Amino acid sequence: MQQVRLNNFARPLMLVLGALLAVPGVYLLAQQPPAVVRGRVEIGIPINARRPTSAYPTRSVPAPKLAPESERRHVVVYLRDARPQTVMPMRVAIHQLNESFTPRVVAVTVGSEVEFPNDDPIYHNVFSLSRAKNFNLGRYPKGDSRRVRFDRPGVVKVFCEIHSHMSATVMVFDHPWFAVPDEDGRFELPAVPAGDRQVTAWHERLGDTTVRLRVESGRPASADFVLPVPEK
Amino acid sequence: MAVTFVTVAIILSVVFTVLMVDARDRVRASEVEQLSVAEKVFTTLEARRQQEQLAAIATVAENPTLKAALDTYFTERDFTGLPAEQEQSLRDTVTVEAEKLATLTGADVLAILDSSGRIFVSAGPLRDRWPAGEHIAIPATSTTFQDIAVLPHGAFRISGSVLGLLDRDIGALVVGTSLDANYARELSNLASADIVITVNGRVAASTAPGEVAADLVNTGTDAADTAALNGEEYAIRTLIRSGRARIYTLASIDAAARTATRDALTALATVAFGAFVLAALGSLWLAQTLTDPIDRLSGEIAMMTAARDLRRPLQPTGTSRELDSLAEAFNELVQGLTAAEADTRAAYLGAIRALAATLDARDPYTAGHSERVSALSVLIGRQMGLDAAELDVLRLGALLHDIGKIGLSDAILRKPGPLTAEEYDQLKRHPGQGARILRQVPFLAPHIPIVELHHERPDGRGYPFGLHADEIPIAARIVHVADAFDAITSARAYRPARGTTEAIAELRRCSGTEFDPASVEALEVVLPLSTTTPEPALQELLGRQLV
Repeated sequence: MQQVRLNNFARPLMLVLGALLAVPGVYLLAQQPPAVVRGRVEIGIPINARRPTSAYPTRSVPAPKLAPESERRHVVVYLRDARPQTVMPMRVAIHQLNESFTPRVVAVTVGSEVEFPNDDPIYHNVFSLSRAKNFNLGRYPKGDSRRVRFDRPGVVKVFCEIHSHMSATVMVFDHPWFAVPDEDGRFELPAVPAGDRQVTAWHERLGDTTVRLRVESGRPASADFVLPVPEK
Repeated sequence: MAVTFVTVAIILSVVFTVLMVDARDRVRASEVEQLSVAEKVFTTLEARRQQEQLAAIATVAENPTLKAALDTYFTERDFTGLPAEQEQSLRDTVTVEAEKLATLTGADVLAILDSSGRIFVSAGPLRDRWPAGEHIAIPATSTTFQDIAVLPHGAFRISGSVLGLLDRDIGALVVGTSLDANYARELSNLASADIVITVNGRVAASTAPGEVAADLVNTGTDAADTAALNGEEYAIRTLIRSGRARIYTLASIDAAARTATRDALTALATVAFGAFVLAALGSLWLAQTLTDPIDRLSGEIAMMTAARDLRRPLQPTGTSRELDSLAEAFNELVQGLTAAEADTRAAYLGAIRALAATLDARDPYTAGHSERVSALSVLIGRQMGLDAAELDVLRLGALLHDIGKIGLSDAILRKPGPLTAEEYDQLKRHPGQGARILRQVPFLAPHIPIVELHHERPDGRGYPFGLHADEIPIAARIVHVADAFDAITSARAYRPARGTTEAIAELRRCSGTEFDPASVEALEVVLPLSTTTPEPALQELLGRQLV
């Protein structure tokens, strides 16, 4: 087991271009037009995934692939301390496939509903003990699906009551400034209000990594992250 | 018998002493081997037990609720912080699960560690010794692990499993067993040997005597299989060597060997006792069949040799054929010797008798005189109650009584008229002359008195010594009477032979003075027999004489 620890030396490496481009005398006003914040998330240390630590032999389900599809997909970038907004609900699905949740990390707006279809030929039992959403969907077989509506912002850890190694994270935001990077690690936070902002990249093993930047009206800002994600 | 037994006993004692020394060495070697094997078996069993415990722990670590609560706790705390109510709720969930698992595993203490290795929640009877926040170093090599953890409140043997999700490890479940006297006792029962647990080079718990455990620590015998502790030799095996802690099993070789040696020696002693009894019986048998008969035979032979009495043959022992054939051979030898001696004796006798006959033949009037005197003397002697040996002496003595006359000239011997005084003196010398001749032959010594004294008279007027009645041997007295009787009844050159009646009358007349009265009386009794039934010995003597 590795200690989850933030590498302090990594912080200075974070490129905070917005801060470098800051022009004195620009006001941070709510009515000012927003600007897009773009960036890339790089994983500083290669990640080796490990087989599930199950005491039982794997059933008819093949073992999960050792190589993750992309660690970048397990990151959520969001604007910190954003004021709650009225947001549009989303529809997202987290599949239960090969004794794991796919995708493992999702970010949704408040009021969104997340579908939990069971694609495995075995029962699963999705549940959560989180404050933002405490639920237990009970057991259900392949082809069945349950839906959960997330009405409070926060982080919701999702587990399977049957397979203890399965876990997923649902980030619920009450604002629209969040994104899950694409395969290349690129993300875009549209229409971020101008001003001094903090952009945070959350990783399930690393926790939060925050950069400060100044968002100027109409000018795209950049926020790149190199996350020193420890090996598992 | 005693000699045989002592010999056998000494041999047996030596053999058993050697066997006992050998047995002691063998028992010791075999005990060392046995202890070593037992310890190996225990070590293997203990390793398997630990493996099974690990498997069980890995299984119970797959607890979804526990993991969910633990992961939710830390994820939410780091993301938004935990309100007290939620914090307590999640912690309680973990605690409840931990208590369940502690009961399930029967552990002294069970703890859930966070991802940094600090105790998040502990459960079990000894949970107070594992307070929350305490750090427990665990190896990072695999999902399950075993080690010894030295904490401020004591040393524990720990087994544990990482609590893992698919994406990461969120903590660990650790089961601890206190390395105390109870645990030492438990291991000791399993191992059937003493257990010593040391932490930081000091005895933490032990089932062995204090001095032995202290010695073990001081000796620091990690590698050695055996070591002398507190004066006794122990077989030692290091069960666990982990950081600053050691668990040893040890068993006293001496103690084990003592029992086994005692058993072996008891068995040997039983065999030895049986062997001694057999030896005693064997000796007894040997004594009865060999030794005692040999002793008896050699005793008899010694007596026979000392007494020169070889007539009685040795009796067969009846117990040993070899001894019997020996005795038989001895008897034959003795018979041969006796026959040879008899032949020698007969040869002597023949020679002497021939001499006597030659002497008698010098004078026609005295022919056969010696033989007749001999025969008559034996008749008289038997009548007077002499025993066989005395009669033998008498017979030969009478035969030789006139042997001394061999030195007399024919002129004196065959003189038809009365002798002159000088001639008579010469005649009176013949008894002494005869004795001198006989002294030359050792085995004729018994007859000398007869030859020398057959002219003595009870009244002391005889020659050559003039002895009186009782001083004269009875054999000489008998021969004197028989000699006189034969002389009277034989013809002489100067007179004719007279009748027996006349002779008896003459003898009776001189009885008490010239002749021994008892002998004369005996003659009177036996005289008729001598003429009618000749004495067998006399006939035999005559017969031999002719040959």
